[in-house]
Order: sequence, then structure tokens, then C-alpha cells
Amino acid sequence: MSTLLDVFGLGFSYGTREVLRDVKLKLFAGEVVALIGPNGSGKSTLIRNLIGVLRGIGKIEWEQKPLDQWRRRELARHVAYLSQNPLWEPGQLVIDVLRLGRAPYWRLFGIESPRDAEVVLGVAERLNIVDLLDRPMDQISGGQRQMIFVGRALVQEPRAILLDEPSTFLDLRHQVELMSLLRQLAKERNVGVLMASHDLNLAATSADGLVLLDRGTVVADGKAEEVLDPELLARVYGIEMERVLREGKPPIVVPRL
Amino acid sequence: MLATVLASVALWAVVAAACMMVSSVSVGWPATREIFQLRREVVLLSSLVGAALAAAGVTYQAILRNPLADPYLLGISSGAALFAYLWRLPAFAAVAGALALSGQAASQQAFAFLGAIVAVACVLVLSSRNGRLEPVTLLLVGVIVNALNGSIFLLVYSLVGTLPSSGGALTLLVGGIQTSLTIEQKLVATIIIAVGWIALLAISGQLNAAALQDAEAEALGVRIQRLRWLALIIASLVTASAVAISGPIGFIGLICPHLARLLVGVDQRKLLPVATALGAALLASADAASRRLAGQGLAQTLLPVGVLTSLLGGPFFLLLLFQSRRRIDLSEGRSS
Repeated sequence: MSTLLDVFGLGFSYGTREVLRDVKLKLFAGEVVALIGPNGSGKSTLIRNLIGVLRGIGKIEWEQKPLDQWRRRELARHVAYLSQNPLWEPGQLVIDVLRLGRAPYWRLFGIESPRDAEVVLGVAERLNIVDLLDRPMDQISGGQRQMIFVGRALVQEPRAILLDEPSTFLDLRHQVELMSLLRQLAKERNVGVLMASHDLNLAATSADGLVLLDRGTVVADGKAEEVLDPELLARVYGIEMERVLREGKPPIVVPRL
Repeated sequence: MLATVLASVALWAVVAAACMMVSSVSVGWPATREIFQLRREVVLLSSLVGAALAAAGVTYQAILRNPLADPYLLGISSGAALFAYLWRLPAFAAVAGALALSGQAASQQAFAFLGAIVAVACVLVLSSRNGRLEPVTLLLVGVIVNALNGSIFLLVYSLVGTLPSSGGALTLLVGGIQTSLTIEQKLVATIIIAVGWIALLAISGQLNAAALQDAEAEALGVRIQRLRWLALIIASLVTASAVAISGPIGFIGLICPHLARLLVGVDQRKLLPVATALGAALLASADAASRRLAGQGLAQTLLPVGVLTSLLGGPFFLLLLFQSRRRIDLSEGRSS
């Protein structure tokens, strides 16, 4: 497995408020890593630092090249990002949202190559959304919309996808579908997936590794068995937790009520 | 994209040919060479101005993420008009001379651009809070800047009385197609608008990302802040060029992008050429209509075309406003 992302000693402050401190993180091709932690622990800020929208101190390397040496367009061909609440224009068609994923490949005047159209169609077929292509974004369900945005990220043909709480607005079925899709894509396309998540159990069951953030610091990094430690979680979240072990599967945790 | 541009040109050409046939007294192809040349001038001029305003409107709507943005409503047109008018004052002419701006037309254009930039800067500074632009505040500030520009204009007009080249001074207040322009004025405006339009078309693909969150746009490889500034400056330049020769003609930049969206959707790469063609066609038609109205005796004098576009655009604006209010109500979970 090749290293896609290597973060070392990353720190970031909003003014005088320190949000990230000495963060260390790695992401390998083909693996799914979930970034967990309470509200305000710095998950979104970390992801925004990784794509260079926010600039902190420390080292961020994508494919062994420092982030500040990447040109924006070039980085967009290697790393895709899905925000917590992606926007679309009223009346915008599904196919137009997908096509926008090819923007890093467009020439001047936004001229597309035949390959751009091929990639869009290929992704639509892979995600079973071909019949949605001509529908306006306002007229499809929230679950379908999230699928379209994942599609836009795939259309970028990235080596890594960063997702900021992608399942927040989804019901249980769509959450599970999205997670299994991300797992499949990681294996099929050898893509590294890093997602911030609030749902510890969904993260534990669908990710290869977990990274637990607490007030801007990585306090645990590893398999679900190691990270989902009731004592550690109690300290981070401030509530008593209980671990439920499952035979041959990652453990899950529930609050002790 | 080439197909869209060609189809847009064809659309405009059909309407422009129809406008060539409209005179104040009859309908038909111009009988003499002189009439042909006269009409060709007003049709081409109104098309140029309409195209510029519509292209600027599409761009403002994209970068400000505001479907109600328009060079006129934002106060940019009136700012440009005020400065284009002030340029005629001897004191300012001296300033222009001192700045060694070569050529009369070029210096008037520079003044208009300065006015547009001052107006847009005022509007943006006054309506932004914590770096965010509140859509309704933006329009309110635009209205105030418009009113202020109009008042200053009238104040200067009454103080100075007749200016050295007073021909059609009030056109710069209401907006209309002037026939007394010098070749130099027309040429400079045409060149600036054409170059600006091509630049806008070159960045039209990237402008699609302006509708997204900044982080999303950046992740698609678009340097969004830089793009916004670039587009804002080009659109203001194009607006100023049109206003310098025609005055602030309203609502073209509001109506045409919306009509174009109905025809080709929201992709800026198609939207810009189609809206531009619609702007050219609409203003040429409005100008032909105002000629016809005067000829029929329905209007006492030749109506400035700005009057007609405002008559058309005012209700259209209200319609859009109510529509967007409904959308906001719905998105906040209130029924309407």
C-alpha cells in the first residue's frame, strides 16, 4: 500500500484560538479511515487544512510532495472533497453537477474533451444513477443527492477522497449504502478515503482505521478494537460508555444510561 | 460551446434584421442607403449595449450568488453614468488631460470605469458583514447608491447648467441609444466590450464553481477568490463601457440571464452566450419599439429606451423577488 497522505506536526489556530495541535496522520491507498471526535474537536478544520483551504503550520504531504508545492488544479485531480452540506444551483441538472467534477481537466473556455464525457457516464453507470442524469437536483431525494455528490468526487478521478460528515442528513439505510459504497470504491479503485464522522459505530463497522480527535489533538489512532476504548471515550466525550464485543467483527459502543 | 455561440449569434441576427425593418412611420426594409446606414447604426449600438449589460448581469449573478443582481440594480450603471457625465465638466476634463489619457473616448471610458468601480466598491463594502454578502442588503444598498448617484447627477446638472457638449446629457440619467456619438467613442466601447466578453467566456467554465461553497470550488481546482475579483472587474468594465455611450439602461442584465436559464439551464458556458444574444436582441427590439411608438404619435417624443426596459423589468423583478421569497420561506420550513 502506497502512502497517499502524510501529516506531521500540523497545528492551526483561528486567531488566538488553537484548533489543531501537533496532528499526525497517514492515509494509504485503498483504505477507509474515519475521523471521529466530539463537536469542535477539529475534524472539519483538519480536512480543510488537508486540501489547503486553511493554512496552518506543520507538514502535509500528498504523494510525497508538500501541499504548498501542488498547483490547485493538479491537486484537484488527485484529491476530491465533499463538504458537510454541498451546494447546488436551483434548477441545476444532475448531469451538470457531475460534469463539474471534470473542471480540473477542462481547458480554457471550459472546453471538455471526449474523455470527460466518458468518465461522467462511467461514474453514473457505476453508481446506478444513469436514469437520474436529466433530473433537476431539487427534484431528487436527499439520499440520491448525496450519491450525486459522491459521484462528482469520483468524476475527478482522485487518488483520495475527503468527506466531511457525509451521512449527517441521511436515514439509516442510505447511511449504510453510502458506507458500503465508499468501502467498495476504496478497494476497486485503490482510492484512499478519509471521512469525518459523528457516528462511532458506523465508523467502526465501515472503516479500516479510526482516528480519534480531542480538542485538536489525535488521542488514538488504529483499529476499532483499540480506539473504541470505553475509558478513553468517556474522557473525550464526557459520558460513560459501554463496549459491546461481537464475534469476528469490530466492537460497537453505546452510552451507559 | 462553439455551437451555442453560433446559435446565439443567429438568434440575434434574426431579431436585428427584423429591427432593421422598423421605422417611425412604416415597416419595411430601408428604401435608401442613408436610411439603411442610420438604422444599422442604432440597431448595432443598441445590440452592443444590450449584449454588454446582459453579459455583466450573468456574471454578477454568478459571482454574487444572487439571482437578483444586475448592473443597474447594484448601482454600478448609475455610478458609471455619473462619472461619464462628470467627465464633460471642464475641471474633470483637465484632470483627464493631466493623466495623459490619450483620446477623448478613451478618457470618458476610463472615467465611467472609475465610477463603476467606486459604486461597486461602495455597494460591496456597505453590504458585507464578516466577509459575507447578504443578498437583500446588497440590493438595498444598490438602490441607495443608485438614488445618490441620480441626485448628485441632477445637482451637478442644475449647478452647471449647460455643459460644453450638452447633447443628450439627460440620456446619461435615464439611459437611451444616442445617435450623436463619435466614431472614436463607438470604436473604443466596442473594443472594450468585445475583449471583456471574450475574457468572461474564457472563465465561464470556472464560474460554474462560484455557485458552490468556497472550499468545494477550491477542491475542484478553482481559485475562487481570485476568480470572483477578476470577474467582478471585467463585468464592471464591460458595464462601464456600455453606460458611457448609452447611460444606465435598467433590467436588461436581470431579465436576460433568467430567460437564458429557462432556455439552456445554469451552465455558465452556455448561459453567457445565450444571455448576451438575448440582451442584444431585447434592447434592439425595445429601441425599435420606442421608435415606432414615437412615430405612431403614442409618445410625444422619442422615448429613451431605458424607460421601456424599466417598464418591462420592474414587474419582472417583483416576480423574481416574490419567487425567491417563497423559496426562502420553504427552505425555512414555513409554508407559503
